[in-house]
Amino acid sequence: MRIGVYVCECGINIGATVDVEKVAEYAKSLPRVKVSRYYKYMCSDPGQELIKKDIKELGLDKVVVASCSPRMHEPTFRAVVEDCGLNPYCFEMANIREQCSWVHTDKEKATKKAMKIVAGAVARAALLEPLQKKEVPVTPQALVIGGGIAGIQAALEIGNMGYKTYLVERTPSIGGRMAQLDKTFPTLDCSACILTPKMVDVARHPNVELLTYSEVVNVDGYVGNFKVKVKKKPRYIDLEKCTGCADCIEQCPVQYQPQVVEVPSIKRKMDDKDIQNLDTILRKYQGKKGGLIPIMQEINALYNYLPEDALKYISEQLDVLLGTVYHVATFYKSFALTPRGKHIIRVCMGTACHVRGSDKVLDIIEGELGIQPGETTEDFMFTLETVNCLGCCALGPVVVVDKEYHPTTPSGVKALIEQYKTQEVIHHG
Amino acid sequence: MAKLQSIKEFHTFSETLTKGDAHKKTVIISSATCGLAFGARNLIEAAKKEIEKHNLSREVDVRVTGCLGFCEREPILIVYPQNIFYPRPKPEDIPAIIAESVINGNPVEHLLYEDPALEKAVVHESDIPFYKKQMRILFKNNKEIDPTSIYDYIRVGGYQALTKVLSEMTPENVISEIKKSGLRGRGGAGFPTGRKWEFCRNAPGTIKYVICNADEGDPGAFMDRSLLESNPHSVIEGMIIGAYAIGAHKGYIYVREEYPLAVERLTIAIEQAHNVGLLGESILGSPFSFTIEIVKGAGAFVCGEETALMASIEGFVGEPRQRPPYPAEKGLWGNPTNINNVKTWANVPLIITKGADWYSHIGTGTSKGTMIFSLVGKINNTGLVEVPMGITLRELVYDIGGGIPKGKTLKAIQTGGPSGGCIPASLIDLPVDYESLAEAGSIMGSGGMIVMDENTCMVDVARYFVNFLKDESCGKCAPCREGLYQMYEILDSICNGNGTEEDLALLEELAYVMKDSSLCMLGGTAPNPVLTTLRYFKDEYIAHIKDKKCPAGVCKPLIEYRIDQDACTGCGLCEKNCPQDAITGAKKEPRTIDGDKCIKCGVCLDVCKFDAVEVV
Repeated sequence: MRIGVYVCECGINIGATVDVEKVAEYAKSLPRVKVSRYYKYMCSDPGQELIKKDIKELGLDKVVVASCSPRMHEPTFRAVVEDCGLNPYCFEMANIREQCSWVHTDKEKATKKAMKIVAGAVARAALLEPLQKKEVPVTPQALVIGGGIAGIQAALEIGNMGYKTYLVERTPSIGGRMAQLDKTFPTLDCSACILTPKMVDVARHPNVELLTYSEVVNVDGYVGNFKVKVKKKPRYIDLEKCTGCADCIEQCPVQYQPQVVEVPSIKRKMDDKDIQNLDTILRKYQGKKGGLIPIMQEINALYNYLPEDALKYISEQLDVLLGTVYHVATFYKSFALTPRGKHIIRVCMGTACHVRGSDKVLDIIEGELGIQPGETTEDFMFTLETVNCLGCCALGPVVVVDKEYHPTTPSGVKALIEQYKTQEVIHHG
Repeated sequence: MAKLQSIKEFHTFSETLTKGDAHKKTVIISSATCGLAFGARNLIEAAKKEIEKHNLSREVDVRVTGCLGFCEREPILIVYPQNIFYPRPKPEDIPAIIAESVINGNPVEHLLYEDPALEKAVVHESDIPFYKKQMRILFKNNKEIDPTSIYDYIRVGGYQALTKVLSEMTPENVISEIKKSGLRGRGGAGFPTGRKWEFCRNAPGTIKYVICNADEGDPGAFMDRSLLESNPHSVIEGMIIGAYAIGAHKGYIYVREEYPLAVERLTIAIEQAHNVGLLGESILGSPFSFTIEIVKGAGAFVCGEETALMASIEGFVGEPRQRPPYPAEKGLWGNPTNINNVKTWANVPLIITKGADWYSHIGTGTSKGTMIFSLVGKINNTGLVEVPMGITLRELVYDIGGGIPKGKTLKAIQTGGPSGGCIPASLIDLPVDYESLAEAGSIMGSGGMIVMDENTCMVDVARYFVNFLKDESCGKCAPCREGLYQMYEILDSICNGNGTEEDLALLEELAYVMKDSSLCMLGGTAPNPVLTTLRYFKDEYIAHIKDKKCPAGVCKPLIEYRIDQDACTGCGLCEKNCPQDAITGAKKEPRTIDGDKCIKCGVCLDVCKFDAVEVV
């Protein structure tokens, strides 16, 4: 290998702070360097000639120029090298101007630094391989991740340029945070007035395909040719509207049959029967001091959670501030404020259970059901909760499902969940 | 039956009960929460059926009792009167037991209790090492009575103490007797009970209350649950006597809602006591009236604190308040109130019947009587043990507890729940009483005793307790609310390998500030687990911080699950069971675990029959 090193003075730009003669001298000592020169303006014709002459006469196969930023003259020198029949990528540029002389004042230290930069460039040059430029077809499409205002605007601009654009949004609707705001700053525009016309535009744009309620799960490939895997989340049945006609089950092309499971309404409105139930409970504790908590315990047991309307009702009837009712409802762990599933799984997190590995059991249940403690599975089959010590330490780690106590182990808990799962699938028809 | 109208009627009635055949053949099956979880119901069914089959339903009783304390072996079947002890028999064993033991009076050898340390199988309960060193006075009657029958309780001498009090003693007599006995509160603080009663009696006011604190929130403690499920009347009797001494006419039992069976049995017991005339207006014809109401908790550990408990009964959130004034002066709805723990109340009838002198001879100089510990964790004989105060930890762990399973080494014993501390194995000869535990940095607490072995990480234990308390803190005072959160963050980062040495100094500082300035003892004692682990196990903290290693193999970010290639036989059991599909390997070849997929759930360690999975 034969490397040529050329150090540029660039007038006073480099020369005033870096001793280019010393640097060139130093470069001679670097491995594989056949020749090392310095010149006032390397980018000038005579400067270029210097390189060309050396390549021809000395048979150089790698060239290093220590001068300005590659953003300035890399193309210049690549062309020089190519003209001499060498691969243009066998050229390395060392920036001792922007990265050295222009940012330092101490001549001694700057010269030393320039030497180091050159040494690095020479070492890299030794590793350079000839590269071929080639053209690669580019898929003229774009994918924008995120359907907030930024994503919408980006999709519109790219779409307007004539390129097919996919807009992927995780939530069921585009619009993002801007849809939740009242005004923008500092223009004090009405947020929705700016956003919604764009939302409409992007929805009807011939070049834009909306993928809402979807998530990007994998990105492969490279710039110009990406391969993106997008997961479209399953759509659900709107329980408020479902009439139970079962047409969907007939039409669904997928094997998965919607399960017919008795599911609690999401937001239970209190009908006459419910008001009756509540009145019965209220009567039971009438005149009793401190009755609020037992009343709420009975409602929690009846509906499997505390419906908002029920709390509003008892707040009125008991003449207790709704805020106080909610203070109590949120303080005590046994009250649930969202509907819970058919089976309530409680994992004991007491010390004895912890020491015997209850956190491992919890991990596995979380993995099996895909929910965290406090959450309910989407089919309303299971709610997962943690309990601080059931007082059954000899059984530990303990899991209680509904009212049944189960001593478990990390290896056994999967089978336990399966048991409850299979009991519940009711095949239609 | 009609209500008993006088003490004389009561004595006549109780005599008729004791007159019954004391040696009648009985099959006793323990059936409290643990027993039920392990199939007690099926056992009871099978026993009744088998007895029917032999046409012996009139000669042989089946008595369903509460818990007998030996949790590791529940449900327990005892054949009476021979007292043959069968640990956790199966329904298939019943025919043999009925034929051999009940009818012929002989033990069925292969079903008896076997202990690796003993040469032959044990027939009687009293010979079992677990029971030998215990002194079961509170739990004494558990196997004699069906907790849903007040008659059983009266038959074994129940409510005799109450009649003695109502007929022979003044309230002042009762208080002085309790004071003489040296009984100290068993809820954790250990305040002299007699003195507390005296304060309440002397407090001005006509309306007074007594409360039984059954909110047993300490993780790992369940002796209160056991007492309530197995002998609820002992607590009720204690409360009636206490109310009489103090001058209260209404009592509350505050039970945590996580104890449904205890609530059920208490409800039955109270109703029965009313029916017999032992609760309600003019008890047994005396001028004294007293009723008890059950109040259920709603899942808040802090409600075990007396002022938070009272706030909860009043219908508010369970936030403690400033003391003084103490509940004895100003408690429930501003009235003088006496709160005691379940075990404290249960001790009262015993002291009255057997006398303060007898009681004060049990235990040590300052800690009288027995204490019930829940011996749990890494111990062979898990269960509830009742021992005299002053017994050593060594006797508890090895003689009674049977030592550490799988041949591992004892590392520490955690006492007193989240308010207590971890006592290192080096202090194994420490006598257990209020003072010596406090000196070691821990507390007696409600009696939880959690045994830890070499695979328990003490830093993780400290984090566990702080995490528990952080969630349960009511949030009213800043030191507890903010301090616990910050302590948790520091401990969590240490467990994740991001701790620094400065963290230790900060932890200590936080701990002392919390101790000094928290409003109640939740925050006030929360630093104990941290301080004791720092005191005795500093090297583990240093290992986590400096070496980024967890010596006990617990903290997930610092450990790796590996398969020993030499020990692995290639059976593939682990691969089949791995929930993350992280184990691969060719048929019959040793398996390997993919560290990126492994969530360290421990299933492979669990199922491997060749000990080939190691945690490094």
